[in-house]
Amino acid sequence: MFSKLAILLVAGVAALSAQDTPLDPYNSVKINLPADSPLTLISANLGSSHASFRGSAVVLDLKMALTLRNSSPNRVRGVTLLVAAQEVTPGGKASVSVPSLDVSPGQNFPVRIDLRLLRPGQMGSGPLVQVNLDGVLFQDCSFYGPNRLDSRRTMIAWEMEAQRDRKFFKSILASHGLDGLKHAMVESIARQNDRPRLDVQVSRGRAVSGAAVPEHTAQFAFLRFPDAPVEPVEGWAEISGNEARNPRIDVRNLSPKQVRYVEIGWIVTDRKGKQFMAASVPASGPQFNLKSGSTSRVLQDTALRFSKDRGESVFIDKMTGFVSQVEFSDGKIWIPNRESLANAQLLGILAPSPEEQRLTDLYLKKGPQALADELGKF
Amino acid sequence: MTHPSESDLALYAGNDLGWFARRRAQHHLAGCRQCRDEVEGFASLRDELAGRNELPALSWNRLAAEMKANIRLGLAAGECVRGEPSGAALAWMGGGRAVAACASVMALLAAGLFIERPSPPAPQVTASDSAVLRATANGIELNQGGQTLSLLDGRSDKVTYSAGAQGSMRARYVDSDTGNVTINNVYVQ
Repeated sequence: MFSKLAILLVAGVAALSAQDTPLDPYNSVKINLPADSPLTLISANLGSSHASFRGSAVVLDLKMALTLRNSSPNRVRGVTLLVAAQEVTPGGKASVSVPSLDVSPGQNFPVRIDLRLLRPGQMGSGPLVQVNLDGVLFQDCSFYGPNRLDSRRTMIAWEMEAQRDRKFFKSILASHGLDGLKHAMVESIARQNDRPRLDVQVSRGRAVSGAAVPEHTAQFAFLRFPDAPVEPVEGWAEISGNEARNPRIDVRNLSPKQVRYVEIGWIVTDRKGKQFMAASVPASGPQFNLKSGSTSRVLQDTALRFSKDRGESVFIDKMTGFVSQVEFSDGKIWIPNRESLANAQLLGILAPSPEEQRLTDLYLKKGPQALADELGKF
Repeated sequence: MTHPSESDLALYAGNDLGWFARRRAQHHLAGCRQCRDEVEGFASLRDELAGRNELPALSWNRLAAEMKANIRLGLAAGECVRGEPSGAALAWMGGGRAVAACASVMALLAAGLFIERPSPPAPQVTASDSAVLRATANGIELNQGGQTLSLLDGRSDKVTYSAGAQGSMRARYVDSDTGNVTINNVYVQ
């Protein structure tokens, strides 16, 4: 009896002492910047990163604060870091991007990466996480990096959205002064707060769950922008209750240039007539070749499950699509302009651009004058 | 707002929390989405593990028969070496022995069953070919075969999530410390 109690006591003490183990920064994380990188790693602080145990599994909480320096002669507008934990999720990877930057040569800037890994058994001996530079975007839209995640296109699109939205707010400031800017900010904040939110679960290659509702093929309706270089022709997806599978959309290239990437915005309408931004449906790669005047198919083998609020299922009644981004073979990118989005009543459904999000945050924290000063920098 | 501990949420998910603690947790969960998500996560993990922990096949009848046979053999052997019983006292003692033997059999059976009862194997996370991406209260979580990778967005209470049909999930927020927009992306292949 006493021996059992002693064993339990020892096990308990061992378990308690093993619950929280600080991580060795040198063995846990490897940060790889190429020799000719325009960014220099100044410091990597793992702060309160630790490992803990949940049953037979290990939970690793990595809280990385990186300080990077712009060692290039150009101003940096955006950075994307590729975060890989191959041992944990062989098929998964992650990235952390910081767009809407304005980092001058020689200036330092922070990038934070908060990562949690849960894996069975004990910790391995090699680095748990590898952080690689995927891309740096400069003020003149030149790009550096291996671009494994197509960061160049993504960051240029964000930069174009930033320029579009700054231009919009600057024009309001010019025509209506600080009061007009305040009014536009309040409208934007209200839109962001009122935007219907949808929880989406994404699963590749199979249904997210075995829905009891019979499956049927539903057709997309499309919104068309007058200046879009690509138009959606027709599209379908398999719908079963709150699940949608395998969206496939035919698109036609209306422009004189070859297109190498098309992204369709996917809006779902529930049975009460409420619209939600569900997902984006991209098409790219060698099999996607959209010459001028030709038609091709945007296709994804994915299942999406929609819910909202407290896990309440969103049953799909209708689907709407619109072209949200196009990249030409020469690297030029098209995004919808603000008027098109407003006319199609999409501003209230879509998330604001990263820049609009940053500007509204700046307005909330520092007021209209600080915002006007910030807009004046560009 | 004080949140219940992680272990309480895990116990709640498994219906293993005491009555008072359960009522307290229920009250809190009614108004806390973050904790509800935690509970949901524990419940789904529990379901997943339960599905993988099949009880080992065990023939209870065969076990009981073997034990009874051994006991009978022991009693028969005892009969062989025992002298002839005589008189009322002996008859009483014989009855007492029978009762004691029965009790012994029952105790032995109970002990045998207790010792040999099948215990569920320790939870093991096994590989699976499916991967699911979802937004949780803390960030984006990629779950593949019970292993998870999560990119957390703890530095803002205002996070915008968006999904990509090619198998990606994006969380965007303004970092409250730096004022920079941070965009976390998790991809499944």
